[in-house]
Amino acid sequence: MKTQEFTAKSIYKTFGFIAILMIALFTFNTSLGQTNEKTITGLIVNEDGPLPGVNITLKGERVGTSTDFNGEFTFPKKLKTGDVLIFSYLGYLTQRVTINSENSFIKLELELDMVEMMGDLDTNTPYKTKRKKN
Amino acid sequence: MQKKSILYVFCFFAGYLNAQVSDFDHIDFTKADRIALSYNKERLTNLPELAYKLTTDLTTDVERFRALYRWVCANIANDYGLYLKNNRKRQYFKNDSLKLNAWNDKFRRRLFKKLLKKKQTICTGYAYLVKALADLVNIECEIVHGYGRVSTTNIETLNLPNHSWNAVKLNGKWYLCDPTWASGIPNPKTKNFVFLYNDGFFLANPKLFAVNHFPIDNRWWLLEDNIPSFEEFLAAPVIYGNAYKTLELHNAPEQMHHNIKKNEKVAFNYKLKKSIKAEKVKLLLDNGDDTWRANPTSISIDNTFLKLEHQFKRKGFYDVHLYLNGDLISTYTVEVKAH
Repeated sequence: MKTQEFTAKSIYKTFGFIAILMIALFTFNTSLGQTNEKTITGLIVNEDGPLPGVNITLKGERVGTSTDFNGEFTFPKKLKTGDVLIFSYLGYLTQRVTINSENSFIKLELELDMVEMMGDLDTNTPYKTKRKKN
Repeated sequence: MQKKSILYVFCFFAGYLNAQVSDFDHIDFTKADRIALSYNKERLTNLPELAYKLTTDLTTDVERFRALYRWVCANIANDYGLYLKNNRKRQYFKNDSLKLNAWNDKFRRRLFKKLLKKKQTICTGYAYLVKALADLVNIECEIVHGYGRVSTTNIETLNLPNHSWNAVKLNGKWYLCDPTWASGIPNPKTKNFVFLYNDGFFLANPKLFAVNHFPIDNRWWLLEDNIPSFEEFLAAPVIYGNAYKTLELHNAPEQMHHNIKKNEKVAFNYKLKKSIKAEKVKLLLDNGDDTWRANPTSISIDNTFLKLEHQFKRKGFYDVHLYLNGDLISTYTVEVKAH
């Protein structure tokens, strides 16, 4: 009986503690956000200037955005130190940036991938020997 | 029991030597293909999202790669005009590396813009996109540059690389595939590109691949031995896309051209993917004036091994086309002299 009361009491105590903790968390949420998690913004350019349409994804997660007409972006999720953003754009070398305590604004220049472009097609046209006309 | 384990060991080594799609016979690609085709309207503006959608419901790397590859083959059209223009310029600047580089640089930008906006490209664009998508889902994939030879390639002017394809690492082993040639062919009359998927180019047998693909970097032959020289490559028979569907190996002849005397024979030797009936094996001969169908002088079929011989009774210069099941497979030339 006594043990049961004791258990019930400790449950209330625990709940109380959790409740206080949660209130504290809500109250100090903004300040916590400022120290651990932050909004990342940035500007992506290529050799000609701002580059719209660059894909920015968070490594290991399905969350991302792309740069606007002015090459600017605001990442939709708050990020913490150690998170890795991947910047990709077709034809340019993919770049990765690790978030640290200092950077909240990322400026990057993407470099063209120096791949040589060429292309022959397959064909079903039968081979024909070029013959000298008699 | 012992026999069985010997067989397993043998299969293991055989598999190692010939990295090809039959390594994945136990995997059904229907699901990967269905997923790939269900995203037919997707654009290229968000590659990370596209790669995710195409692969998230698939469990093995080979299926995930298959979905990406199949999507590229079904969605990217070949821009023939762009290809011709690039060829002209590259040929024009071939002795001026500065101008060639400047052209390559300019062309590269145009090409990527066109790929992004219109989903049209030339073959490096296909190989590039397959690699870009594979990178996004952590599958190791490389672009292979080199020479590709088809029936219309002028081998006398083949002095610059003209083709790109892919090597992909699956379960620790490298495989070859050619998304450009798998995607379709130009209409022979209009030259407009027509989507016509050819499954034969997916993880193709490296020995067959070597008949008409010459990589600049030696490691992408994926052959243990008998690596052809460039001269040997140029002297090889012409094989068509259908060869990749029908043949496992093109064993003989190794040369396109044959000089023989009247009444001598030329021997042909293939390993097929599936056995064939003798009446489905035909030759089409062309001496410049006439074209006619002919039955080979002899045909021997042992399960998937096909051997032919053909005797030439009249002098002349012949284009000899091999047809299997009605599909054009390969072409040889034979000059028959009186003595």
